[in-house]
Amino acid sequence: MHGSSDRAHLWIRVFAAPMLLAAATIIGLLAALLWGTVGQYVAWVTVGAPVPVVSWVWVRRRTKKNVRFSRATRGN
Amino acid sequence: MKARTVRIWSVVHTWTSLISTLFLLLLCLTGLPLIFHHEIDELLGYAPQPEAHASAARATPQVVADAALAADPGRVLQYVSWDKDEPGLVMAFTNGAPDGAPDNATVRAFDAVSAKLLGPVGVGPMLIVLKLHTDMFAGQAGKLFLGAMGLLFVVAIVSGVVLYWPFTRRLRFATIRDSAARRVRWLDWHNLIGVVTVAWALVVGLTGVVNTWAELMLNQWKATELASMVAPYAGKPPPVHLASLDNVVVRAMQAAPGMEVAFIAFPGTPFTSSHHFAAFMRGDTVLTSRLLKPVLLDGETGEVADARALPLYLQALLISQPLHFGDYGGMPLKVIWAALDGLTIVVIGSGLYLWVARRGKRAPAKADAFARRAPVPS
Repeated sequence: MHGSSDRAHLWIRVFAAPMLLAAATIIGLLAALLWGTVGQYVAWVTVGAPVPVVSWVWVRRRTKKNVRFSRATRGN
Repeated sequence: MKARTVRIWSVVHTWTSLISTLFLLLLCLTGLPLIFHHEIDELLGYAPQPEAHASAARATPQVVADAALAADPGRVLQYVSWDKDEPGLVMAFTNGAPDGAPDNATVRAFDAVSAKLLGPVGVGPMLIVLKLHTDMFAGQAGKLFLGAMGLLFVVAIVSGVVLYWPFTRRLRFATIRDSAARRVRWLDWHNLIGVVTVAWALVVGLTGVVNTWAELMLNQWKATELASMVAPYAGKPPPVHLASLDNVVVRAMQAAPGMEVAFIAFPGTPFTSSHHFAAFMRGDTVLTSRLLKPVLLDGETGEVADARALPLYLQALLISQPLHFGDYGGMPLKVIWAALDGLTIVVIGSGLYLWVARRGKRAPAKADAFARRAPVPS
């Protein structure tokens, strides 16, 4: 019982964000087709969501690297 | 998930991706400029521009048709079309025969008010990019082949989602293991970009596959729906004198109230029978402007013969087009489409790198194992 709840918890942790992004994408793709101008605005935010996610990971990684580098140089 | 199951999915993912990689890269690279083909054509001077007019009285369809025939002596009109995004232009397709091959057609733009010839349409470097993207200059066989590659892409995506679980369940979402080897870093990027773009890639992949079946679907419609629409006119010869296009347009609009003409197919062309005009009508919303309704009109009298909604499979084809092109949400959606296309190129490229890197790692290990097993010569 405990094991299966852990597994469900883990499954949600792994798939929650990707599923949210996938749902947002589908909603956005349909919104622009069905809801005119308002739908277009929805689509820009939701279909475009993966781009800021990837950019955020890339920037976070660069920032971490720079922090590590400056710590290392200060240590010297 | 059992180790054996993971191995099977891994084999499916590896080989569906590898077989289609080269073609998917071609599709992604050619698709990128095609997203902006209007803007590129305009920039390079291949997009005819309407003249500026003080009055708004538009030339009648027949005047435009006459101008199109005068611009291409000895040839016949196949289609006249009105683009809802280019209200100042009317496009005319001429060819050697009504059923002439699409590649032999000439498309010219005419001013919607003066009916003056403005120039050819669909020429220039973007035509080469388009042909590479749609059929690699191999006609229908090329289209179907690329459709098959699209299906492999879909299988690769689905298997990739299945493998996402065993590869990332011990990691937080969006983890890139910087301290690990380069191959592991790229695996993390491959997994992250792949999973966040999965819905978009599936939609664009599947709609691309559907588009490759367009000709087959059209043939099916002609053999079934269109055949039953023209059955009462069986045996009638092609019209000797064509009805006035003005008359055809007016009657088509009466038969489909609230709709406007998207394009008219002349008798004998692939979109109609040898005796009828077909006026394809569109609505005025984003969705209904894509869902065409054919109205069949007698080629000689212009009388309405029949009007029916397209079958579901053709409606699905028409809906799949904007979902594949990304041209229905203004310039911001086009930019997003390009960014997602770029990310897909990274996923494909990193997948290829991971396969090569893994092989490189395996080769010395195999050689070592072989050396250990091989009998030592005495």
